[in-house]
Amino acid sequence: MHSAERQTVHRWTFIWTGALVSLVGFILLGMAITHSDAWAEVGSALGLTLVGWGGVLQVLNGALLTPAVPVGGAEQLHTGYLLGGMLVWLAGWGLIASGLRRAPAPAEGPSPAAGASLYPRLARYRDFYWSTLAAYGGGILLAELALVLLQTVLSSGVPSTELGAPASGNAGGGLSLPPTLAFALSLLAAGTVAFVSGFIGASRAQRLSLPEATIGVLYLGLPVPIVLTLMERVPSLQLALGYRLREVTYVAGLLGRPELAYWLVFTALVLALVLGINTGFIAAGSGRVDLKLGFELFVARRHVMVFRPSLLLGTLAVLMFGIIPPLLIYFVIRSAEAAVERTRIRALGLKDPLAAASDLNRLKLREQSPTMMMTALSVGGVGVGVMALIIVLSVMSGFEADLQKKILGTNAHAVVSKYAGELPEYPKVMESIRRVPGVVGQTPFIINQVMIASEGNVDGVIIKGIDPATVGTVTDLPSYILGGNTLEILHTPEKILDRGLPGDEPEAPAGGSGQEGVEEDDIIRRSGKPAKPPVLPGIVIGRELAASLRVVVGDRVNVVSPLGTELGPTGPIPKSRAFRVAAVFYSGMYEYDSKFVYILLKEAQNFFEVEGATGIELKVADIDDARRIAGQVVKVLGGYPYRARDWGEMNKNLFSALRLEKLVMGIILSIIIVVAAGLIVATVIMLVLEKRKEISVLKALGVPDGGIVKIFLAEGLQIGVAGGLLGLFSGLSWCYFIEKVGIKLDPEVYYIPALPVRVEFVQTALAVVIAVLVTYLASIYPALKASSVEPVEGLKAE
Amino acid sequence: MALLSIRNVFKSYFLHGKRIDVLRGVSLDIERGELVSLVGASGAGKSTFLHVLGTLDAPAAGEVLFEGRSVFSMNDAEIAEFRNRTIGFVFQSHYLLPEFTALENVAMPALIQRRERAGAYAYARELLERVGLGQRVDHRPGELSGGEAQRVALARALVLKPAVLLADEPTGNLDPATGEGIHQLLREVNRELGITAVVVTHNETLARSMPRRLRLAGGGVSEA
Ligand SMILES: Nc1ncnc2c1ncn2[C@@H]1O[C@H](COP(=O)(O)OP(=O)(O)OP(=O)(O)O)[C@@H](O)[C@H]1O
Ligand SMILES: [Mg+2]
Repeated sequence: MHSAERQTVHRWTFIWTGALVSLVGFILLGMAITHSDAWAEVGSALGLTLVGWGGVLQVLNGALLTPAVPVGGAEQLHTGYLLGGMLVWLAGWGLIASGLRRAPAPAEGPSPAAGASLYPRLARYRDFYWSTLAAYGGGILLAELALVLLQTVLSSGVPSTELGAPASGNAGGGLSLPPTLAFALSLLAAGTVAFVSGFIGASRAQRLSLPEATIGVLYLGLPVPIVLTLMERVPSLQLALGYRLREVTYVAGLLGRPELAYWLVFTALVLALVLGINTGFIAAGSGRVDLKLGFELFVARRHVMVFRPSLLLGTLAVLMFGIIPPLLIYFVIRSAEAAVERTRIRALGLKDPLAAASDLNRLKLREQSPTMMMTALSVGGVGVGVMALIIVLSVMSGFEADLQKKILGTNAHAVVSKYAGELPEYPKVMESIRRVPGVVGQTPFIINQVMIASEGNVDGVIIKGIDPATVGTVTDLPSYILGGNTLEILHTPEKILDRGLPGDEPEAPAGGSGQEGVEEDDIIRRSGKPAKPPVLPGIVIGRELAASLRVVVGDRVNVVSPLGTELGPTGPIPKSRAFRVAAVFYSGMYEYDSKFVYILLKEAQNFFEVEGATGIELKVADIDDARRIAGQVVKVLGGYPYRARDWGEMNKNLFSALRLEKLVMGIILSIIIVVAAGLIVATVIMLVLEKRKEISVLKALGVPDGGIVKIFLAEGLQIGVAGGLLGLFSGLSWCYFIEKVGIKLDPEVYYIPALPVRVEFVQTALAVVIAVLVTYLASIYPALKASSVEPVEGLKAE
Repeated sequence: MALLSIRNVFKSYFLHGKRIDVLRGVSLDIERGELVSLVGASGAGKSTFLHVLGTLDAPAAGEVLFEGRSVFSMNDAEIAEFRNRTIGFVFQSHYLLPEFTALENVAMPALIQRRERAGAYAYARELLERVGLGQRVDHRPGELSGGEAQRVALARALVLKPAVLLADEPTGNLDPATGEGIHQLLREVNRELGITAVVVTHNETLARSMPRRLRLAGGGVSEA
């Protein structure tokens, strides 16, 4: 009698004991981790793993991987814990499983239909397809391998510039595309592979096949990112694989945290697979490929009317001005309107009741349903997420661009030097470099660290010997000089203005003529005549340094080098030299304005006893191509002992930190979109419940399951697209506002007068695409629910 | 070969663990072009039988063959297409789609097939005029009377000139004169278009006017 309700017999003692035992197992596992001090590892691994059960594998890997506590006994102990814990854990589950028993067969006799043929679709039902498992698992693995291989083949042989090695053989044999472009292409290809295999698997099985997908991703998809992650941590693996995978690790390393990059890419590939599975199911799951959308959109548009001017304008107003002001205005307008309308209708009705009735009816039609409110909320949620992403990322890009501009303004795009020693032959080298296409400027330099002292203060700085004639072809230094000066003045130090007004020293105008006298005759100086100071060589210093040394143009400073020593009466003393401040520069970057000073190359050669130059700075036509051109230069110079480093490499830590920061910001802000996606799920589920009867009718009229899925996906997507577009529009407006009107920053802190923005096309487009993608993914579940409504069942639902 | 053959069909409902056997091994042949009436007491299972015939509900056992082919062995797309092209269904309650006008509702099966809009609307308008609703094409279902909605539903079932029309009390909500008009229409489409029709009715006159009469009782179907 009651067999229909009670299908399973529970033996509660077994189940509770089992739960207890597996808890003990869990604690043992935890202790194993504690003993090997691996919680940090495990925690970070768990954090990185964005896919369900991958976490367990990561826990194991974390526990196995951490170096054991040196004491031998301790190590024994925690492998014991680990094994024991696992066994106990499994045993617990076994107990729980044995506590569940299938109910005994009902004791009733056979039904009247016994022996008749079973409903064929049920008779044919299969819940597992090996071919689909192969398609999913093979697909994700293939996608990963394709990504790794393509990256290696397409990319531009990373070590070529760093090693500057035998140019012919190396270069990775690749197509030498810039690594990031190569990565974009390979990711696209790999994503396509994952998508297509998902599509094929789902359309073959004619169902979503989630068990196959889970197994495939777990057993065939996870190993690659795990191996890559392990490689970053285990030196022996690094040795074995690192060289072959150098292109992959290089690209991942651009982010600062390679593991994060691996797992992000893995997640992206899994997403591509899921999208493929879903599309395959919709398109071909019911036995026929059908990618047309006309009818489904026709129905979906009637269900959710997102693209109405009032809704779009209202949401946009909320995004631009916050919630309260538009709401206030809305209520004011609405109540005024209602009052006016009703007064008018009443006046009309006093004359002609029927006319009033029809107007009243029109007024009523405008009222909104709860689903409409939910729709508006979801649109707003997506819009806020996209807007925040666009604004924050654009501001961060602004900072990055500003930083890059300043770094490239004061720094070269690339530097050619030797592994050891100086470049006495620099004119010849420059001659060779001139022939390399893409190099637009070059200048020799000598660099060293010194102390600089004025009467007021002393500071450690980096001194650079430069060639004023060519330095302008590489950096913007000449344009940073303040007060109408030029760098050429370094050549004619006698023309450096004296401190204060020219009238202060009557001698000044005659300085030029007196000059020769000094050089010609030292004795005149020694004789007690009013001393004319010797002409000191010029030095160019930054504004911040000038301020801290309390010097102005014309002041004397001493430069002390700890390297070259001279023998003094009491032993070796540091070499010291006096200079006169010839000019002050202001680059806008604190680092440079406080830490860099410039003198003539010749002076530097003398001072540091360097032959030639330390290296040659290059400027290239396209800074994004600097890496390749630097490699080219080394090739032209014949490789070792020459080397070239590009600006990205020289400032690697800075830029990868910025990129990581941006990525993390992006992920955090995407959470807003994910929350909005939750709203969308709720909205579409409400819609599905509201439309159960209509779903049944549509099915009875001949809409296949795939069509129903498409209709509800389209409804979710409409919300996503509307929200994405509104977010795009408001985000760009805000960026425009920040750029044009400006938000002032404290210059003491930021060294930049106003909040910088730079709207980058790719990342802006990506924000919108991600939002649309997330809403699409969010609508999949409710849409599938909708398609599983059976015709008759829905018709009877009242 | 019969157009539709029903072979040993069983259908039961389960309520609070109790089985209600509604159809107990129904077997029946319906030839092409037949006009069949189906009568039976309320709750006898007429609607259930019609749903199974129209593939809207799955039987627990047994088969329905259309032109010798088992309809329940078809895959999802084929079943959908079968419902769309071969079967025209008029439900006991009208079940029109509330967001669409009468015209769009009637044209819906053609739109599902992705037929061109203008042509579909033109034929739908013609059909609506034929059921006497030329003045109501732009009304939404909420703005139609029960009898009008039922007539729109009949027009919707006929818009694709299906091979089989399954009508569950199409005249239940109509006054005798309009009801007679609908009977006339049914006979016409049966004669002119060769549409095979199974009509459930409580109206004895209508039932008697049909060439073949069936009675459903005790879970089985017999000729009456
Ligand atoms: N979903 C259901 N669950 C349980 N019992 C049901 C269900 N649907 C129908 N029944 C029962 O099955 C029987 C047949 O129902 P059906 O709707 O086919 O009757 P009918 O002959 O069409 O009646 P009417 O002439 O009143 O429309 C009825 O007794 C009804 O109570
Ligand atoms: Mg009925």
